[in-house]
Amino acid sequence: MLRKLMKHEFRATARIMGPLFLIVLVPALAANLAIRFLLDSDVFLPNLLGGLLMAAFVIGMASLAIMSIVLMVNRFRTNLMGDEGYVTFTLPVSSHQIVWSKIIVSTVWFIATGIVEALALLVCFFDLDVMRNIFNSYYFHQALQALHELVKRYGLNVPAIAIELIVFCLLSCAVLCLEFYAAMAVGHSFANHKGALSVLFFFVFQFALQFISGLLFNLDEFQNMFYTGMNGMQDFHQMMAVLIGMELLIGAVYYVVTTLMLKKRLNLQ
Amino acid sequence: MAILECNELVKTYGHAPALDHLNLSIEPGHILGLLGPNGSGKTTLIKLANGLLTPTSGQVLVNGAVPGKDTHAIVSYLPERTCIPLWMSTRKLLDFYQDFYADFRRDRAEEMLQHLSIRMDQTIRQMSKGTREKVQLIMVMSRAAKLYLLDEPIGGVDPATRDYILNTIINNYDPEAAVIISTHLIADVEQVLDEVIFINQGQVILQSSVDQIREEKGMSVDALFREVFKC
Amino acid sequence: MKWQFSNDAPIYSQLIEQIKVGIVSGAFPPGERLPSVRDLAVEAGVNPNTMQRALTELERDGLVYSQRTAGRFVTEDRGMIETAKQSLAEYQIQNFLTAMVRLGYEKEEIMTLVRQGNAGEELRNGDSGM
Repeated sequence: MLRKLMKHEFRATARIMGPLFLIVLVPALAANLAIRFLLDSDVFLPNLLGGLLMAAFVIGMASLAIMSIVLMVNRFRTNLMGDEGYVTFTLPVSSHQIVWSKIIVSTVWFIATGIVEALALLVCFFDLDVMRNIFNSYYFHQALQALHELVKRYGLNVPAIAIELIVFCLLSCAVLCLEFYAAMAVGHSFANHKGALSVLFFFVFQFALQFISGLLFNLDEFQNMFYTGMNGMQDFHQMMAVLIGMELLIGAVYYVVTTLMLKKRLNLQ
Repeated sequence: MAILECNELVKTYGHAPALDHLNLSIEPGHILGLLGPNGSGKTTLIKLANGLLTPTSGQVLVNGAVPGKDTHAIVSYLPERTCIPLWMSTRKLLDFYQDFYADFRRDRAEEMLQHLSIRMDQTIRQMSKGTREKVQLIMVMSRAAKLYLLDEPIGGVDPATRDYILNTIINNYDPEAAVIISTHLIADVEQVLDEVIFINQGQVILQSSVDQIREEKGMSVDALFREVFKC
Repeated sequence: MKWQFSNDAPIYSQLIEQIKVGIVSGAFPPGERLPSVRDLAVEAGVNPNTMQRALTELERDGLVYSQRTAGRFVTEDRGMIETAKQSLAEYQIQNFLTAMVRLGYEKEEIMTLVRQGNAGEELRNGDSGM
């Protein structure tokens, strides 16, 4: 059943995410062309057009990032809290399956968004003289050299660092999503002012999170566990483990709140 | 075994009890009318049977089980409003129902859709209100469920469509299933029902067969309703 | 066949009467196989259980019989059909007479009116027959 839920989640969200990806990739191509042909021109009009295309590209990049979160949250709202909820919550599936399908699909889209953003950057700066100049410059070589020294000196495992950071980023995105879900699930369990209360609860959760984090980070025990002087990979792994562990815990709390609200206090009008 | 059973069912919203120690037992093989004025608890009862609400106290059982994902597989629900996703096309909606419900009879649904000249590639958003309601009804009635919960199925449609809907309900009759129709339009559905339940202020005040009411009280159910619920 | 229902009598007894009318008038000829309960119910726009009840009573009266796998059939006993027709007729006549008496007519006047009405009808039919 979970697989079917995810299949239909993808069907429902791909129709918007797909076009969004185009909205970033096409301007990326245009930006590339702009840099090549338009921006160096002495004539005003091509210059302006080039500038506009670059702006479109930047706006597209930003929009994609923001929209992917907005879309995932809105999907939750329309599919579960609106009229569609009458169909979704009478399907032969559990609320756990429903929430998991949404989290998994959202995470996949976040990964896809990341890949598309990177791709767009690549397309934008592909095979350009200006990039070639940068990569061939003395300063760039110096910077690479310095980084190389750093890696050797501290025994840095670059792939591991990359993986842990990526995992943490993805987890944070998923947990952010869950925070929205939990806020909406709670907000909509009230009879009136559902939307306003959802927003309110989001900020309540944010505040509670900051508050507890603040308290935690002031504890000596916690600081010892977390700040270990950064002497090599072992310490980095430890720090990442703590961060990832905390995210998992927070995510779990939001997950429980969400599913509990949906199961016990569903309030479809 | 009763297909729907309520034992001392209570549901309160704040201080107001929507259902007040309601007791009910419905056997399969009947088409029942759930009749009562606005606010009598009809929709609350249907939502409880669907698991969209949880009881404050007492219990509601569908085929002996508490409402959950297993009962959803044998209950087919027609909400009062059109709730099917607007962005889907007719074909995608059929895929959806076929995927999730093992008892969905796609051939019957396609036959009914074709009969009403509803196109496969049209999205729900593009359809008129009446057509949307028909599509939703077709999906619901094309399931071979054990309990059908129809909330105001003929409320906002024209008389010809009304006939078509009632026709579909009769044609779909299954001696192992029960159909519960919650409605205000009693005169129109009375012939289709064999049993009625009068509900008021969260309690069942009458459960009887249509013919029994006509024989004993010498009036139609519609007339009796007007008398019982006179303002 | 047009199915009409009134509000005060039980539906199953109205169904019995209307099927009887169908049989005596020839809409359901003797020996003819009746549609299934479901099909009849759909046609009449009534609950299948109610239709079933009506058919069961008609079976009990003998106007209709069922063969296990073949279905339900109208009786071939024309005598029984004739009797049913007569009792339906008597019922109509009784109602008519009661209504006329309520209007204040005497038996003799009623008979005259009936003969006049019938003659007028024949005249009209004669005219249209031309």
